[in-house]
Amino acid sequence: MDYFRSIPFQRQERRRSTWTALYLLVLLAALLVPGSKVCASAPDPTEQLKPFIEKVIAILQDEELREGARCTLCQRVIDVARERFDFQEMSKRVLGKHWKQISSEQQAEFEELFTRLLEHAYIGKIEEYAGQEIEYKKQRIRGERAEVQTLLIDSGKSIPVSYIMLLRKDQWMAYDVVVEGVSLVRNYKEQFDQIISADGYEYLVGEIEKKITAIEKETTGEE
Amino acid sequence: MVYRNLIIYRIVILFFLLLITAPTLSAEEVDFLDDDFYLDELESAAVNDPIEPFNRLIFDFNDSAYMYLLKPLATGYSTVVPTDIRGCVWNFFRNLEEPLRFVNCILQGRFEESMWVLSRFAINSVAGVFGLGNPATREFGIPMIEASLGETLATWGVGDGFYLVVPLYGSSTLRDITGTVVDAMTMSPYYFWSDDYLTLAAIYAGKETNKLSLYLNVYDDLKKLSFDPYVALRNSYFQNRKKIRDHTDFQVEF
Repeated sequence: MDYFRSIPFQRQERRRSTWTALYLLVLLAALLVPGSKVCASAPDPTEQLKPFIEKVIAILQDEELREGARCTLCQRVIDVARERFDFQEMSKRVLGKHWKQISSEQQAEFEELFTRLLEHAYIGKIEEYAGQEIEYKKQRIRGERAEVQTLLIDSGKSIPVSYIMLLRKDQWMAYDVVVEGVSLVRNYKEQFDQIISADGYEYLVGEIEKKITAIEKETTGEE
Repeated sequence: MVYRNLIIYRIVILFFLLLITAPTLSAEEVDFLDDDFYLDELESAAVNDPIEPFNRLIFDFNDSAYMYLLKPLATGYSTVVPTDIRGCVWNFFRNLEEPLRFVNCILQGRFEESMWVLSRFAINSVAGVFGLGNPATREFGIPMIEASLGETLATWGVGDGFYLVVPLYGSSTLRDITGTVVDAMTMSPYYFWSDDYLTLAAIYAGKETNKLSLYLNVYDDLKKLSFDPYVALRNSYFQNRKKIRDHTDFQVEF
């Protein structure tokens, strides 16, 4: 009797030990995997973009700022934009192969000019802003790049807006905005490329300066 | 009536002949997250615009037509007719074209989407009161599905030919405008009350003015912020078209 009874016990024991070994293996694997680059501390791009957009909207809805001088409002938006936008990366990409051909002073000068142009581009948008709703769709991460897809819902029609971001240390920084599939950087890039190939880099700088003064004149003329 | 159609068919055949001789252009699949997306080589390969001087002339004509005729017209119309009603008009015309999208979906091998297009047509025609509303998207979560003959031809391997600016229509390519003309011809017997050019033109003008009134400041913004509006619009057209024809994200939240 004892003999017969002991067999299943032995089997159970053996089964238990194989299970513990398996658990140990899984635990070991779990301990080893985070050692690779996909660490748990990698920030979420949407989680970082969300407070930024909320901040911009809060500034836009601030009645006091709206009634005050136009440029205090713009300046506030610009200061906040620098937190989440990498204007240097943008400038680099928008010039493409021409970026390496200009000196570092010229690079700094271009970055400043291009940033100002984009700022003015957004002032018009600011004025139109009338409490549109923003929906966060999905995000895609590939290596150090990420795309966060949002939907701007404006009086019945919805406009898809994507932010293309790059991981800098622990911060996701946007370097391109894609509206209805149209990349802002690529659109400017083609225009700039044609101007540079036809008339040279200096001419392009002049053109951007002209554009900025024209927009500034137009906006102050309206007031 | 028969004679009119003969002329149109001849034009279409001519376009097709031109298409065959035109060099084909393959669109490369590059994602926003690839570094290649911003490469220079890709840029120059993407734009095939051999008749640029001619296109620029038409572009200037369209620009003037927009500034002095279409924009004042659409602005006046938008002040008289509220946004909701203009949205309904847009829905109505879009719904009429759904069977066309259904056929094109099938021709492109997008069978699952073709069934959803048909469902959209049924839902919107009945529950949306002749397509004036869009309950298919709002209540049933079926997104709008785009399919045109231009895209069908593309899936069959017909190249773009070249970039073309069409008077009073705008950006297109030789292949796509051919598709658009055939699509429009397929639509014309559908507008059963029309039996002459004038009525057809009036319907088209009404439809387009209504559409323009919903997107009034888009072109103005583009013009204001670009250094070469012609290049900016051409680039936007190709980028936007690529997105419209990317169906990998298709998802129904039924």
